[in-house]
Amino acid sequence: MSLEKYRLDMETCRRCSACKFIPFEKVTGYDHVYVCPSITRYEFHSYCGGGRMVMGTALLEKRLTYTDKLLDIIYNCQMCGACDTSCKYSMDMEVIEPINEIRIDCVESGHTLPALDRVVNSLRKQGTMVPGARVKRGDWAEGLHLKNFKKDKVDVIYHVGCQTSYNQQMWKLAQTTARLLQKAGVNFGIGGMDELCCGGRAYQMGYKADFLKQAEANMTAIRESGARTLVTGCAECYFAFKVLYDKHNLKGDVEVLHTSEYFGRLIKEGRLVPSKKVEMEVTYHDPCHLGRQGEPYIHWHGKEIITSIRTFDPPKEYRRGTNGVYEPPRDVLKSIPGLKLVEMDRIKEYAWCCGAGGGVIESNPAFAEWTALERIKEAETTGTKAIVTACPWCIKNFTETISRNGSEMKVYDIVELLAQAI
Amino acid sequence: MTLNKDFLKALEDVLGPEYVSADPEITETYANPVRHGLPVPPRFEAITLPDSTEEVQAIVRLCNKYKVQYKASSTGWLYSDPAGPNCIKIDLRRMNRIIEINEKSMYAVVEPYVVGGQLQAECMKRGLNCNLTGAGANCSALPMAAHVNLGHLSQSGSYGERNLLALEWVTPDGEIVRLGSLGSLNEWFCGDGPGPSLRGIVRGNTTPLGGLGVYTKAAQKLFHWPGPTTFPMEGVSPKYKPAYIPPNFLMRYFSFKDLDAMVDAVLKIGEAEIATELMCFNAAMMAANLATKNVEEEREIYNRFSKEVQGPGFMVLIAANSAGDFEYKKRVLETIVDETGGKPLKEVEDPENQGGYIWRYFREVGSIKETGRVLGPQAGMVGGGDCFPLMTNFIKECSKVKERLIKEGLLFDDGTAPFLQSIEHGHMGHGEVLARVSLQAKDQMAVAREINRQSNEISIKKHFGVPQHVWGDSLHDMYGPNATNYHRWLRKIKKTFDPNGASESSTYITAKE
Repeated sequence: MSLEKYRLDMETCRRCSACKFIPFEKVTGYDHVYVCPSITRYEFHSYCGGGRMVMGTALLEKRLTYTDKLLDIIYNCQMCGACDTSCKYSMDMEVIEPINEIRIDCVESGHTLPALDRVVNSLRKQGTMVPGARVKRGDWAEGLHLKNFKKDKVDVIYHVGCQTSYNQQMWKLAQTTARLLQKAGVNFGIGGMDELCCGGRAYQMGYKADFLKQAEANMTAIRESGARTLVTGCAECYFAFKVLYDKHNLKGDVEVLHTSEYFGRLIKEGRLVPSKKVEMEVTYHDPCHLGRQGEPYIHWHGKEIITSIRTFDPPKEYRRGTNGVYEPPRDVLKSIPGLKLVEMDRIKEYAWCCGAGGGVIESNPAFAEWTALERIKEAETTGTKAIVTACPWCIKNFTETISRNGSEMKVYDIVELLAQAI
Repeated sequence: MTLNKDFLKALEDVLGPEYVSADPEITETYANPVRHGLPVPPRFEAITLPDSTEEVQAIVRLCNKYKVQYKASSTGWLYSDPAGPNCIKIDLRRMNRIIEINEKSMYAVVEPYVVGGQLQAECMKRGLNCNLTGAGANCSALPMAAHVNLGHLSQSGSYGERNLLALEWVTPDGEIVRLGSLGSLNEWFCGDGPGPSLRGIVRGNTTPLGGLGVYTKAAQKLFHWPGPTTFPMEGVSPKYKPAYIPPNFLMRYFSFKDLDAMVDAVLKIGEAEIATELMCFNAAMMAANLATKNVEEEREIYNRFSKEVQGPGFMVLIAANSAGDFEYKKRVLETIVDETGGKPLKEVEDPENQGGYIWRYFREVGSIKETGRVLGPQAGMVGGGDCFPLMTNFIKECSKVKERLIKEGLLFDDGTAPFLQSIEHGHMGHGEVLARVSLQAKDQMAVAREINRQSNEISIKKHFGVPQHVWGDSLHDMYGPNATNYHRWLRKIKKTFDPNGASESSTYITAKE
C-alpha cells in the first residue's frame, strides 16, 4: 500500500495544531485565523491534518479499519492543502499527500461513497465529472468556429474542463476566453466534443486508476497535436495537468498555464491592452489548486538516510506552497484601469477554500455551502461588492451559496473583468 | 472498556449529539502521534466539545456521578493522553472567545482555545503585548493552560503563573469557583483579592496539566508594545521577510568564551533593564529559526554559525520606546558586551535576517522548528524557575548527561550548548536540556527515561530544586521528601478538591496514600 511510503511523514507529526491555523506570522487579529474548513466545521481533532496523520498510522497498524464513520471523516475534507502549507511553515513532512493516499486506499479496497461513485461512473460512461448534464462537451463553442487541436495545427491548446463545458452558466466564461485569445492573435485550438476530463478531481477523490486513464489519453492527444502550451481557466485542471501529471511522470515538456498567467503574458507583450475603465472594487479569492497547490511538483530521487535523524541524499525539497500562482491573477486585475483590489485577511498560501474541492460538493453539499459562506462573509468584510476568482468550481459554489443564503456580493471570473476592459 | 450508555446519553443531552463521540475513529486520533514500535497509550473512551463554562461543569458533574474520569485540554500539544481506561476527553476548542481586553487596566480575559497569536495580534492593535508560552503562538493564551507559560517575552513580561489575574475554575467535582476580584466584584483585574485567592492551590509547582479540574476563563496582565499594530512581513510561507525593521528595534546574538561570562552578561543586562527579550538560544536553535528548506539547510546554517560562535550565547532583543531610549539601551548593551567579551554573530544582523528573527521571536513561531523537526521522541530536562545562575548550573550539569548519551550513540549530536532563559530581567531563570533521541536507538523510550532519571538524580543530589517537568506520582514521590514533603500537601489538595478522583491526574498527582 502506498500509504506505507508516507509512514515516517505521518509519524513526524508533533500534534502542534499548526495545521488548523494560518501561518502565525500572518495572524493580524482574532478573526480569520482558522484555515482548515474540515476541523473548523466538525471540531473533533480527527478532522484536521494532524488527526489525519494519526488516522493514517492507525490504518497502517490496523488499529482502525474502514467504517462509515471513518469514511465520513476521510471525505469531509476539500483536499484544499491548507494544512499542508501551514504545517510546512515549520516541519519537513508531507501532509496532503498521505491524506490523498488514504483516499486511494479506500477506493482500491472497495470503500467508497455512493455520491462519488456516481460522479466517477459519469466520468467512465459520459466522460464528465458533472453527472446528469444535459448538454454535450463542445456545445459551448457552437458558432465560434474555433480550431480543434486534434485536427488543426495549433500552438496553444485551450482546455476548458468539465465544469465550464457542462454547466451552461459557465459557457460565457469559455466563450469570453476564446474571444480574448482570438483578439490577441493566438493560434489556439480546443478539444471541442473530443476534449477529455483531466482526471484531477477523480484523483483527489481517490480514484487513481481513473485519473491515470484520463491522464494518459490526454497526454497522447497533446503529444500528437504538437502543441507546446496548454492553457486552462480551471484551477482543478491546472493542478492536474501541471502537478499531478508531472508527479506521475506523464506531463512531458508541455507548458501548462492558467488563463491568468497566459493573459498576463499577453498583456505584458502588448497583445492585449486593457484600456477601458472598469470602475469596481473587488476582492480576489485564490483557488486552492491554482494558489498553494499550483506550485510545480518537485521530483526527488535519492536515498532516505536514517541515522540519528532522518535526512535525504540529495536533500529533499518540499512543496510548501511558496511557489503557487498568486501574483499573475493579481497582476491581471491591477492592469485593469479603474479597478481596485482589496485583499481579504486570508490570502495566497493561506486562503480559505471555496468548499467545492475533494468531492465535498458532491458528497456533502451542505458542508461545501458552509465553507463557501465563511468565505463570502470574509469577502464582505473588505467592503467590496464582488469576489473575483479564477476557477469555475469556486464560481459555482460561491454563486449557488449566495443565491441560497443571500448576499450583495457578485462573483466574477478574472477573465470576465479583463474582457470588460478590452 | 465501554462507557455506560446512560452516561453517554446524558452527555449528549448537555452538549447535543454533534459534540460528543465515543466512536473509535474519533477517539483514536486524539492519541499523541504514534510511532511504529513504541507503546500505544490508552485511548479516551469519548471526546466531548463543550461551548461554555456551564457545559464544562455539567460534564464534570456527570463524570463524578458515573465515576468516569475526565481530562481537559485546550490546544493540546503533548501531555494529553489518558493514563488508563474509563477516561473521557474534554476538548476545549469551542471555548475560543476573547472576553475582554482592558486597555486602561492592561489586562486581557480569554477562554482556553484563544491561541497566543490571536491574543497578541489583538493586543498589538491597542499598543499592548502579552507573554506567549515559549511553545509557540499555536498554544493557548490562557495562562493556566500552557504549562508554566514561560516565553520569549519573559525577560520583560514575566510568565503565566505570575501574570495570572482573576480566574474562573470548574473544580474537579463540578463547582464553579471565581477567584480574585472576580469572586467579589465580578471584575478581572486581580487574582488575589478582593475575593478568594487560591493561586498556589490551582497552580501547584507547574500547573496541574488537567489534573485539578478545568480552567475556563482567565485574566492576565498585559504589557506596553512600542511596535507597529501589525508587523510588516511580506512574501510567501515559509519565506516571510520584513519590509523594514521597525524604528527602535534591534536583535543581536552574542556568544561567550564560557558559561560564567555569559551569565555575567545576562545579569548585567538584566540589572540595566534594557532587553525586551533575552533567550540563551544555542547556535542550532538560531539556525533552525532561520532555515526554511529542510533539515540539511538547517545543518548547513548551523555549521556556519558554529564556526562563528565561541561558546554559549544568547539572543537579545531591544524594542525601545523612543529614539533616545533606543540609543541609550544600545549603548549599554555594547558596553556590557565589551566588558564580558561577547562576540557577535554577524549573519543574524543582516537586516533581512534580523527583521525576520525579531518578528519570529515576538510571535514565537520558531518553536516548532527549533524543537520539532524530529521524527524520534524528544527527550530532555525541563529545569525549574529559580535564580538564573542556579538554573544555569543545573542545566550545565544536566548537559553532561546529554553529552554522555551522545557519545553512546543514543542521542543526536546537535553540537549545542544548553538552552537557558532569563526571567524578569534576571530576577529568575529557567533552562532546558533539549535532545533528540537517535532513530537508531533500540529502545527510544528507555533513552528518554534515562536522561530524565540521571537529571533528576543531579537535581536532588546537588540541590537544584524541583524542576518544572515533575509530572505524576513517581516524580513527586521522588522530589517531595527532598523538598519539605510538599507532595503530601499537594496530595491533600488533590484529595480535598477531587474527592472522587474524577480529574485524571497522571501528569499532576493522585490522591493515593
